[in-house]
Amino acid sequence: MKNNAMQQRLAQLGSGAHALATQILGNPDDAADAVHDAYATVLSKPEAYDSNKGPLKPWFLRVVRNRCIDIRRKRRDERVPVEELADSGPGPEQEVSRDERSRQIESALATLGADAREIVILRDYLDLSYAEIADVLGVARGTVMSRLHRARLALKEALQNDEY
Amino acid sequence: MNTEERPIDQYLDEWLSGYIDGELTQQQRQRVEIHCAENERAQALLEELKALRSEVGNATLSQYGEDKWREQMDETGVQVSRGIGWVLLVISALAIGGIVVFGFLTDPSIPVSMKLLIGGFYGGLAVLLGSVVRQRMIESKTDKYNDVEI
Repeated sequence: MKNNAMQQRLAQLGSGAHALATQILGNPDDAADAVHDAYATVLSKPEAYDSNKGPLKPWFLRVVRNRCIDIRRKRRDERVPVEELADSGPGPEQEVSRDERSRQIESALATLGADAREIVILRDYLDLSYAEIADVLGVARGTVMSRLHRARLALKEALQNDEY
Repeated sequence: MNTEERPIDQYLDEWLSGYIDGELTQQQRQRVEIHCAENERAQALLEELKALRSEVGNATLSQYGEDKWREQMDETGVQVSRGIGWVLLVISALAIGGIVVFGFLTDPSIPVSMKLLIGGFYGGLAVLLGSVVRQRMIESKTDKYNDVEI
């Protein structure tokens, strides 16, 4: 893939990668830093991506996820406190442009564990296939369906609890 | 529900997710369809999961748009190219410096005393420059107001 085309594609993937990083790190600012670092890693060594081995999207998301894990390891904070995720949303100005349901989904996601949050984002928000999710998470493809199903059930319950 | 049915039910439950994601074999899809036709709870759950998937897909979970990432990409590109430029500059400066020093030290027409004097002068300059650069680097890493924008 030519460098310009790659940059354009990476820019398109930025928001999705940021959503994933936010769910892993629990903080949109740290998530933006993680995406920025991932860009720097990829742009300094674009030949590391081999288009014959698969699409750019899961590959880039794996780079972002690895960077998030490094950041989280540095913090020595394995599980993001629910309160931090709930409080870490955008400021009032940005919040105006987001619809109510998005906020509800974000709050419901914040009550789930990190594993559940990221698998829901990878499948339902970023539209990755099970094989691609298995590749990003480094798990067996067979694990994806059961883990995703449990995560969806938990999210459904959290949304129902939020409504009542 | 007896104990033998339970694992099959669990599999079928998980297959509901696989079904809406289009990740099942044809045989598995048929089993899910039969299961849902016979079981209202499974049918209802399937519809709920479909709706949930669609809602998450349509949600806005990042406050930054594509423009922000394009800008950041440009910024990162500049930083990367600047970094490569610095690396090339430093390597070639060291190589040129090495050649000049080697030529100077091995030139038989220059007396040893002159070599020591000139060597001491440039050596002193290099040590001073090195200490200033080191101090600046330590300051930039430890300055707590580094990220404050004025």
